Amino acid sequence: MHIPDAFIPIWQGAIYWIIALVFIALALRWAKNEMNEEKLPLVAVLAAGIFALQSFNLPVSMGTSGHLVGGALAAIILGSPFAAIFILTLVLIVQAILFGDGGITVLGTNIINMGVIGGFVGFYSFKGLMGVTKSMPVSVFLAAWLACLIPALACAVEMFLAGTFPLTEGLVAMGIYHAIIGVIEGIVTVAAIYLITTARPDLVDIGVKTPSGA
Amino acid sequence: MIESLFQIERDANRDSVIHRIDARVKIAIAFAAIIALVAVPYSTMIYTVGAIFFAFFCILWCFTGLSPLVFVKRALAIIPLWGVIIFFQIFLKNKYYTTYDVVLSLPFGINIYAQSIEFAFILLVKFAVCISFIILLSSTTKMQDMLEGGARMGLPAEFALALGMMIRYLFVFGYMFRKMNETLKTKCFDAFDRHLSYRYRLRQLGYMIGTMFIRSYEQGERVYTSMLCRGYGRESFLFVERKSLKGPEWAFLSFSLLFIIVVPVAVWFGQYRFF
Repeated sequence: MHIPDAFIPIWQGAIYWIIALVFIALALRWAKNEMNEEKLPLVAVLAAGIFALQSFNLPVSMGTSGHLVGGALAAIILGSPFAAIFILTLVLIVQAILFGDGGITVLGTNIINMGVIGGFVGFYSFKGLMGVTKSMPVSVFLAAWLACLIPALACAVEMFLAGTFPLTEGLVAMGIYHAIIGVIEGIVTVAAIYLITTARPDLVDIGVKTPSGA
Repeated sequence: MIESLFQIERDANRDSVIHRIDARVKIAIAFAAIIALVAVPYSTMIYTVGAIFFAFFCILWCFTGLSPLVFVKRALAIIPLWGVIIFFQIFLKNKYYTTYDVVLSLPFGINIYAQSIEFAFILLVKFAVCISFIILLSSTTKMQDMLEGGARMGLPAEFALALGMMIRYLFVFGYMFRKMNETLKTKCFDAFDRHLSYRYRLRQLGYMIGTMFIRSYEQGERVYTSMLCRGYGRESFLFVERKSLKGPEWAFLSFSLLFIIVVPVAVWFGQYRFF
């Protein structure tokens, strides 16, 4: 899902960068208001953890690649979609600059997909599902699954707009594979949140607060 | 990826003319080269621009004192993943061409087009040369220097602070990952062993990820507590000393940026078209 340089024309990359910068500014506002002495290590360790999760790249049919995203995990643990944007921005910067995993001119696009879409879908679907199901594992699983699938579909649409991959084939390939990857993402997210809430309940802020920063 | 982290940092800790250049200069040159390459339209002129940029990269790499194998290994770890998408381009039509000539017809109505092959090569050249500059940057710049360089170039303080801590945790995660892998191996646990129930394997992996997270967090928390003891507070930010670029660094930066701008423009006007 990490689109590399050259796959999106420079002018489209610039548009995505501008949109991403708006959300990055909001995420920075979240960080200024919410990131206290206690939360900073959690934010940093979540970023490193998501980096590790995203390291497991799996090849997808039709040539695409799939991996876990982690947007829902960050948003749910820290209780805000802006936390996911902040954390995913850190992760994507390190991945792009150190490993060449995801491009520089398309960093804005990748932040929109995994941070903005992943974070918002993960957080609000979790909140909505919690209201309906009253079950934390079910809500977390479904939220993480959606937060993996929808950014992948957005990626396919962006590649189509860029003219580097046809829409139907891209949606089918990315959709099917990320629907499967999403199941793993859901299980991992449930396991991680369950373990953290059991071992260190003080660390988790399961969407109790309304998201600030916006 | 997390395993190659240690190798990248070892390469970055070596000493050479390129290693000693200020991180800001290397970041600016790498980013400028990538932006210039991406800005070149999807046309065959990228072959010339790409060849000249790659020659420039090779000259810089020679001064790093790193083996070409380091570059080849790292490139091979990145390129194949998206190389498959590039390969599939040969079967697809795109909006950048109006007419398509069939080179080869395959069963099930699949065709390979001359223009699609050309487009695939254009993508490959752009992608490969962009990746080369990222490999050069990360193989010759320590993470801490990169962070300080970024902070000096205007990276917001919140990002710089969190990135600094994240980089530390990355190594903690790396060590934890190794240790836990060894522990599982001594217990003869294999996640791909079909004799074990799927549920059991998933549970073990879930516990491994969660434990890795908590152990890394607690290790980091101890480091962080010691930071607090030494006077760290909410208003503290990463201290980055002001540092001016030296004369030779300015000269190298100016020459490189000029080169990066002039080459595509010159090729655009067709004066130095080699292919």
